Amino acid sequence: MLQVLFDALSLGSLYALGALGIALIFGVMRLVNFAHGDVIAFAVFALLWPSVDAVAIVFAGKMPWFLLIPFILAVGAGLSVLSEVVVFRRFRHASPATMMIASFALGFVIRYFLLMLFSSRPKSISLLPALSQPVEVLGARMPLLQLITIVATLVMLTGLSVFVRRTRFGLEMRAAAENFTMARMLGVRANRVIMGAFALSGALAGAIAIILGSQTGTVDIQMGGAVMLMAFIATVIGGLGSLEGAVLAGFLIGAASVVMQTVLPPEARPFRDAFVYGAVILVLLFRPQGLIAARGTKERV
Amino acid sequence: MFRTQLMTSLSVLALSLAPATGALAEDADGNIVVGFATAETGFMQAYDKPAQDAAMIRIDEINAAGGLLGKQIKVVNADTKTDRAEGAKAGLSVLDAGADMVVVSCDYDFGAPAALTAESSGKISFFLCAESIKAGIQGVGPHSFSASVLAAVQGATMAEWAYTKKEARDFYRLLDTSYVYNKGICDGFDWMLPKLADATLAGEDVFKNDDASIASQISRIKALPKEPDAIMLCTMMPGAVSAIKQIRAAGINSMILNGSAVDGSYWLSAVPDLSNFYVPVQGSVYGDDPNPDVNAFNALYKEKTGADPATQYTYPGYSMIDVWAKAVERAGTIDADAVVAELEKMDNEPTLFGPRTFTSELHHQNKARYLIVETTAGKPGVIDEWTISEPVPMDALMK
Repeated sequence: MLQVLFDALSLGSLYALGALGIALIFGVMRLVNFAHGDVIAFAVFALLWPSVDAVAIVFAGKMPWFLLIPFILAVGAGLSVLSEVVVFRRFRHASPATMMIASFALGFVIRYFLLMLFSSRPKSISLLPALSQPVEVLGARMPLLQLITIVATLVMLTGLSVFVRRTRFGLEMRAAAENFTMARMLGVRANRVIMGAFALSGALAGAIAIILGSQTGTVDIQMGGAVMLMAFIATVIGGLGSLEGAVLAGFLIGAASVVMQTVLPPEARPFRDAFVYGAVILVLLFRPQGLIAARGTKERV
Repeated sequence: MFRTQLMTSLSVLALSLAPATGALAEDADGNIVVGFATAETGFMQAYDKPAQDAAMIRIDEINAAGGLLGKQIKVVNADTKTDRAEGAKAGLSVLDAGADMVVVSCDYDFGAPAALTAESSGKISFFLCAESIKAGIQGVGPHSFSASVLAAVQGATMAEWAYTKKEARDFYRLLDTSYVYNKGICDGFDWMLPKLADATLAGEDVFKNDDASIASQISRIKALPKEPDAIMLCTMMPGAVSAIKQIRAAGINSMILNGSAVDGSYWLSAVPDLSNFYVPVQGSVYGDDPNPDVNAFNALYKEKTGADPATQYTYPGYSMIDVWAKAVERAGTIDADAVVAELEKMDNEPTLFGPRTFTSELHHQNKARYLIVETTAGKPGVIDEWTISEPVPMDALMK
């Protein structure tokens, strides 16, 4: 039972971090950033030296952990900010649909850039191998990584919530999420806020990259895709634009997925995701605005 | 009246076309032509290229020894770009270039379009390393073959070997439902398990290749009263690495049995000090094959391509040209039906990578000699070889 709880929390953490990264950007500029998954992949590939060989040539990945983790977070944040400066800034007055298409295009550009440098062959790396040791917590045996994922996610979420609620930048960001035009009129510097949101979102992508890379030992140009899809669904269920909603829904989807895998009979287990998506549809039927509807989104939809 | 005229003109047309498709078995220079409709770009390239390089080595050997039926083998290529529609075009393109035999992509789904094109022209096609029964008579037609061994044989081999040599009794079955190949391995395992006296299935579960975590699957294994003797893991890259890493990180030390798809040392860095891990292979890429000729082949391969073979999927390319050339030699002609008849007469025909058998029902291996590679403390090496006691029957293969 406890084991199931930990499994649910660790998978939920992953989805919550992803959902938050998408919700942050959606909050300030109504952009569903479909390039988010490719930012995740890019952050892991930054550890390798470009080569199309089957064996990965680890380069930056050789750094000790206290340099490695900030490096990956910085790569995620940097790429994310770069994509705002180079691409999304030019779509400031475009419709959300146009921006969404642009984000798809950007995702393809990032993915094919990686394809060019590294080939489509999945590569194996040993990222923070110390985390693959089993530990015992309250009678449940689990990989250390699972525990760290849960703790780190909780720390990040608390930190972020303090940041958003207690700092001036956080206030500006919330104001921008609520009503962007009004916030600008009241002196919020739009580009700075948007850039900040992109940096945070990119760093969250970096955090997912570390967890995924360390958990699976695999880097693959498509590795961000599955998490991105679940995270996007979480932001929709949570209520587009609502940060709390995204996190809550991320944990719920993770939990639903783990519980389905545990309780479904063997014949039904291959269709686990169908059951999860079925639950998603049910939620949306009863709460089309999402679990926690963001105040700013209602009249615009 | 009109009808007769039409028939006459059609038959004239047919007659004039006949030499182009039938009699003209070699190109203008009198060479025999092998066409490769394989992926030179896209993700299949990683699978097609090594096997194709191995095929080229055998072709060069044959040409150096005087050729086939006294003629040189010429090679023509067309890129499928890892795309099914392009695959059919690539098949046509090599047939237009005069191919007498068409080699198609490793995977059934990607190779089938070109193989079907060859089939409709009455030419022989060979899948480079497909391990589904569909890659042959069942999925393409009577002129189609696969150079590899059925996935089910791998699952059956591992089950019987672990039972006999490692005294494994309770097995756990963990299937990745993303690809048909994986199901093939578990089908072979399912067929073999009831034949092994007092062997039991301790439990089973499924996952998907791109699952971010298989923590709940692992919790189910740990909830068993006793750690299973062996876990039959039916999966492929890259999900395999992730699953193995997570199983070991959770402290489960059962022996892990796999299909050939996880052969190779290129991914072992992801699971440092992996032990108690077993893979069936057609030949060893680790320099310790019991057959010295295989090690000599590895050296030759390195000389030609600059690197050692990365996985055992290099080898079927070599066996493929080998058995096809023997059949052509025995038939004394390049005519497809005569060559197919000779191939179907092969019963335990020796090749560098184990004996090969083809029949008029099955153009694939439902029984094969496998080397067993064990990985101990991160080092893979051949420890044994095994041939299943009886071939996997048709109904288990068609499941």
